[in-house]
Amino acid sequence: MFFNSLAFAIFLPIVFFLYWFVFNKTKSTQNALLIVASYYFYSCWDWRFLFLLVFSTFLDYYTGIQIEKGKSEKSRKFWFWLSIIVNLGFLGIFKYYNFFADSFSDLLNSAGIKASPILLEVILPVGISFYTFHGLSYVIDIYYKRIKAEYNFIDYSLFVSYFPLLVAGPIERATHLLPEIKVKREFDLQKAKEGIYQIIWGLVKKVVIADTCATYANAIFDNYTSMNSFSLILGAVYFAFQIYGDFSGYSDIALGVSKLFGLDLLRNFNYPYFSRDIAEFWRRWHISLSSWFRDYLYIPLGGSKGGLWMKIRNTFIIFVVSGFWHGANWTYVVWGFINAVYFLPLLLSNSNRNNMDEIRLKFNFDSVKVITSILYTFILTCIAWVFFRARTITDAVLYLKHLVTDREFKFQYLDNERYNYELLLIIGVFILVEWNNRKKIEPLSGKRSMLKIALAIAAIIAFGTFSDYKEFIYFQF
Amino acid sequence: MKRFLIYTAKILITTILIAVILDGLYTYVFLQSKNRGKIEAVFNSKSKKYDVVILGSSRANNHFVSQMFEDKGLKTFNYGMSGGHLFEASLMLKLMIERKYEIKNIILEADLSLSNDHESDGVSAKFLPYIHNSEVIKEHFKTQKNFNELYYVPFYRYIKYDSKIGFREVYKIAAGEKTNSLDNLGYYPLSKHKNGNMKNNIVNLKPLKHNKYYEEIKNICKANNINFIPVMTPMCENVVGMNYFDKVKKAYPEIHNYENVVIENKYFSSCGHMTDAGAKMFTARILKDFFKK
Repeated sequence: MFFNSLAFAIFLPIVFFLYWFVFNKTKSTQNALLIVASYYFYSCWDWRFLFLLVFSTFLDYYTGIQIEKGKSEKSRKFWFWLSIIVNLGFLGIFKYYNFFADSFSDLLNSAGIKASPILLEVILPVGISFYTFHGLSYVIDIYYKRIKAEYNFIDYSLFVSYFPLLVAGPIERATHLLPEIKVKREFDLQKAKEGIYQIIWGLVKKVVIADTCATYANAIFDNYTSMNSFSLILGAVYFAFQIYGDFSGYSDIALGVSKLFGLDLLRNFNYPYFSRDIAEFWRRWHISLSSWFRDYLYIPLGGSKGGLWMKIRNTFIIFVVSGFWHGANWTYVVWGFINAVYFLPLLLSNSNRNNMDEIRLKFNFDSVKVITSILYTFILTCIAWVFFRARTITDAVLYLKHLVTDREFKFQYLDNERYNYELLLIIGVFILVEWNNRKKIEPLSGKRSMLKIALAIAAIIAFGTFSDYKEFIYFQF
Repeated sequence: MKRFLIYTAKILITTILIAVILDGLYTYVFLQSKNRGKIEAVFNSKSKKYDVVILGSSRANNHFVSQMFEDKGLKTFNYGMSGGHLFEASLMLKLMIERKYEIKNIILEADLSLSNDHESDGVSAKFLPYIHNSEVIKEHFKTQKNFNELYYVPFYRYIKYDSKIGFREVYKIAAGEKTNSLDNLGYYPLSKHKNGNMKNNIVNLKPLKHNKYYEEIKNICKANNINFIPVMTPMCENVVGMNYFDKVKKAYPEIHNYENVVIENKYFSSCGHMTDAGAKMFTARILKDFFKK
């Protein structure tokens, strides 16, 4: 059940109605309804994985309590590592086993030792990376005594399985979401309206920007050997907007839907393509994942407090692991590595926190500098996206090589029966709208909101891509 | 809560209004379209007279050289549609009759398409802008599963088939951009492809014993005194399951089997589609057999 499907359009009002009109007596009834709705939502993909979700929930719930109750450090450690190993074990088996088995076998074969890997025929459970990370952060926070264990199983289950964030985040923290779940929600008109704005803007990003860009990006990436330089540049730009529209659109809808139930989720995107350097980009892109890795990996490893080599090591670890989190393919690892290479000079020159202020443009030289640095950062990002999108590292390298060496900048007719340049106007308008509203969470609120909503709906209906139906990219992660 | 429900109702009404307005606007633009496709051309035309009309899929579109008929003094147009099934061929004929076309002969390419009686989404979508403006289109789609959504939900058909009749197509019509589908009197010549697929496996294809739309075309021809010429057209040498054509002949004895009139691969662009040279050989044979003067 996708957020942009008819099934969800029926599901959401039903749950909304039951939540505010039937199960609104106590927070327990509210939470119980959301749990049932969440499990139903998840089972629409594959009901068998519901067992995995429930098991994972129970494991972290139980180990969390045992860690808190543990009288000796040994006992606390035991439950802590049990949770970590089982959680990562599931992730390893379902997501990474075949990748490692394949890679190991390739390595042996290249060394002249014949090996054929035993591969598992498993499908990746939707959202496993997200709910596993929810559970991990919870257990780690209890172990380090940052939070108390949750003894109410319903409340804890809702924290892990809450349907708006279940399959593609944002990755929530117990410190943020659990306190909200622990109190009865009262209906808040303003918050609900904000939710509607975010849902509509999320749909614009998904069906108008992401899915439309996808048809062009696919036609270019899938046939890159016959594309000229102009098409290859556009292919990278289209993919950049595809993945942004897709993932941030999903996040917007998730946050918007959640607001309808009176729950605020963590903001996941903050106009990342207006970043002035890569460090700022990572403060604005998939914020919940970046901050997760910062808090649970980078800082425990020593962060940037150690010596030079420690800083370099930690930077590469966090980016490579972040890349690997996205999927079991070397292309994601290289994508993470490239971002580490981009980030390192900023870290070493202590300029990674230079651009913390708001972007302001005036008619002066500084503004030219700002625009140049935004464009430069976007180009770097697009180069890295080529590795993220390509099937193999070789494909990505050849794509970029062809882009540089072909040097033909002509309009080209693609195999989706469209010209390569057709989307530039729509992307231009989208950038302008986001730029003018970059201080807000979404562009539809404020003055004349009803007119803006009408225009957004008209854009969804008239310009959206529906027939070439695509699921959300991040569902596979 | 009451205020929120009113607010969402307003958004819902706005959405419906936008859908109705866009529906009207798109339909209006499609009603002006005359040079982008065969369906639009027929719908937006008035009575025409033809000696020969050719119907079928791409195997009609690429195989019957209209000009060769014209050279014999026969006013001809090839209305074969790439990707089309008999569902669309039948509707096209009904539309012509509704537009009061006077037709003497219909050549129907009826072979592979006899194996199914469902619509071809990509082609049938092109009829949908006119579903409220043509009784025959409405009636033809009535048997389809999603008729109610297509007919009653404003703009649904434009969303569902946006790649065929969506914004891009509307823009191109409004900008007056032409396509080549009406060139060469509807015939689309193919050239020899270096990497053309010269193999085909049709073992799993079975002709339906009673293809609804084939029978419909046959009956329309009978009712309108049109000479009906159903034919099977050639395929390349390397086809697995060639006895399909024998099965067709058995189920529909009136269909003329021309599958083996052109055999050599050099006359094929791909296994199911002849080159221009092959099409000319084939058309010459059809002319000789059916239009001797």
